[in-house]
Amino acid sequence: MNKLAAKYLRPSQIPTKACHGCGLGMIENWLLQAIDELGFKQENVIFGTGIGCVGRQTFATWGGDNFGATHGRALAVATGLKLAQPDKKYLIVVGDGDAASIGTSHLIHAARRNLGVTVICEDNMGYESTGGQFSPTTPANYVTNSSPYGMAEPGFDPCDVVKAAGATFVAETTATQWHQTVKIVKKALQNDGFSFVHVRFPCNENFGAYALGTRDTLKNLEWIYEHTQGRKPDGSETDFTWETGIKHDVSNSRPEFSKIMRDMNARVQADMAAKAAAAAGDDKTRDDGHGTH
Amino acid sequence: MATLTVSTRVGLVAPWVEWEKRCTDGRRLLEAGTYALTEGAIAAGCRVFAGYPITPATDIAEYMSKRLPQVGGYYVQSEDELAGMHACAGASLGGLKAMTATSGPGYTLMHDAYGWSITNEIPMVVVDAMRVGPISGITGAPGQGEFYIARYASHGGNFETIVLSPSSVQEAFWLTIDAFNLAERFRTPVTILTDQVISDMWEDLFIPADYDALDFVIPRKHNLMMPFYPVGSADLDVPPNLIGRGTGVCVSAYTHTEEGYDIEDMAAQWAQTYRLINKIRHHTDQLARYETLGLEDAEVVAVAYGANARTVKTGVLEARRRGVKAGFVRPITLWPFLDELYERDCRYVVCELNYDGQLVREVMRAAPDKKKVHFMGKSAELHTVAEVAAGLEGVARSNRVPELPYIWTEVR
Repeated sequence: MNKLAAKYLRPSQIPTKACHGCGLGMIENWLLQAIDELGFKQENVIFGTGIGCVGRQTFATWGGDNFGATHGRALAVATGLKLAQPDKKYLIVVGDGDAASIGTSHLIHAARRNLGVTVICEDNMGYESTGGQFSPTTPANYVTNSSPYGMAEPGFDPCDVVKAAGATFVAETTATQWHQTVKIVKKALQNDGFSFVHVRFPCNENFGAYALGTRDTLKNLEWIYEHTQGRKPDGSETDFTWETGIKHDVSNSRPEFSKIMRDMNARVQADMAAKAAAAAGDDKTRDDGHGTH
Repeated sequence: MATLTVSTRVGLVAPWVEWEKRCTDGRRLLEAGTYALTEGAIAAGCRVFAGYPITPATDIAEYMSKRLPQVGGYYVQSEDELAGMHACAGASLGGLKAMTATSGPGYTLMHDAYGWSITNEIPMVVVDAMRVGPISGITGAPGQGEFYIARYASHGGNFETIVLSPSSVQEAFWLTIDAFNLAERFRTPVTILTDQVISDMWEDLFIPADYDALDFVIPRKHNLMMPFYPVGSADLDVPPNLIGRGTGVCVSAYTHTEEGYDIEDMAAQWAQTYRLINKIRHHTDQLARYETLGLEDAEVVAVAYGANARTVKTGVLEARRRGVKAGFVRPITLWPFLDELYERDCRYVVCELNYDGQLVREVMRAAPDKKKVHFMGKSAELHTVAEVAAGLEGVARSNRVPELPYIWTEVR
């Protein structure tokens, strides 16, 4: 176990049940690096996840408090939890199924509310723990076990979705970009509002094997790297290109959801107190009115 | 299994019989059931409501949006019922008492969160104001179609649930406080299964003056150490877990260890199930709430709950006036099912607001002779007093419910 893992994770839950060569452990280590460089204390970071490869393999690894929601609902749970525990940092680590399919409505509305959480969408471009079916982030025409003739449905870019919905920090990286990812996650965690970081990572067992024809980790990472560069080693263009980096950064530009709620409560209670004081004043006036009432 | 002694004379068995005697300082209002459900929750210390408006529970959301900010609580109008109950679970895990309210279509969507809350032992209260169905049915008419759904409020089995049903506006107020108390003591979501009539009906309502003085309200406590899940134990009054204090608690959808770690193991599955079932089954004596009438000499007993129990009770009195030795049982605790209420070897007439027959099947199971259990199902409207009296008279004199329009008698 490396130093960061020893400092922040649970020895009993490491290594995870992730497949050989899975990118999840590497990305989690980068998250730990970001937390460590920001100096966050373990007890002040709540780790939330969902279902699928990302949910199952990251749940209960974090040494602090953990929750693994039902499929897609991590942000719904976080919405209530944030109201009760507003001062905590929330790292919501979910997959493309949780974020971009079954739980997209919660993702959109968490962004709209500017809920103070950082969502790390670790995207292996399909449903790999159920054996490799396509997801809304599977690239067009790629073969999976539920798109044997190629991914026919149009996909979407979850970064575009959350940006349109009102997220205050949006970024995209891949498992081939260590330093950039750490830098981005640090920025995301410093936004007191809704931050979304989309990180593509390789799956050797399913996406790699069926869409790319290889279970070789390095070849799968190389495929991701080529598609962030837009070029293959021979200089030819790739079939599509992912634009990585910070997509949208208006960090701390509008109030965070739980703060909006607390501010409203303060306003309502101040109005009530003012009305009560005014009513008491009226009573006093009447009392001193020498029997005019 | 704990047992209870069913009194033939005492009218009402519920904790609020005592509470009503002790609370004398307050206001008398003319208010709706939804108002009583809201104020009961506020009185019980509810500080988060997350839900999606739906007839006939919408007014609870509206009342909550006004009341919660006044007491430092939070109203979340969630994007759907899935989000609503999950947000309540999150709030409860963060240390705040929470409630959601819905009707059948939303209650079905909540089963995702319901199962998660059961397995993770997260206290909260869920109101289901039933309307006639299936699905949207008639939105402004009462139904009692979620009797079994409330028992099996999640897939997967291996759990018990607590479900209570009020039959007046005043009872809705006290019962809501009781539901919050049970949620805390049993560490589980509690469903208040009410209906469109009780929700929308305006009635005389007494509200205590000072909620802080209600010493029977069980405050939220926090478990800050292992074991987070007392698997293999049926203990009551285990304080709920708290996320946000760095205790290292783990909450998930999986079969868990006492730490909350996911585990795929027979022994762990057995221990978790023992906990979730027996914390309720071993304490049914703590859960008995019911009303009876005339059981001392009854030869035929009418059974009903919720709004419907009101006309059925009057129907029983009318039958007695006509010389029928009729009795009345109104279960307030619907689940766990109070088998003891049906131990008397006599005829039963079960009146409920569905045609398929739900409560009647449980009475058939619990009664000494299921052939003596008769069914009077009605849908979208309460039974009339005349119908109930005719039914009781028919069963008492000729062992059959007479043919009546819109009354379903067959149970297969």
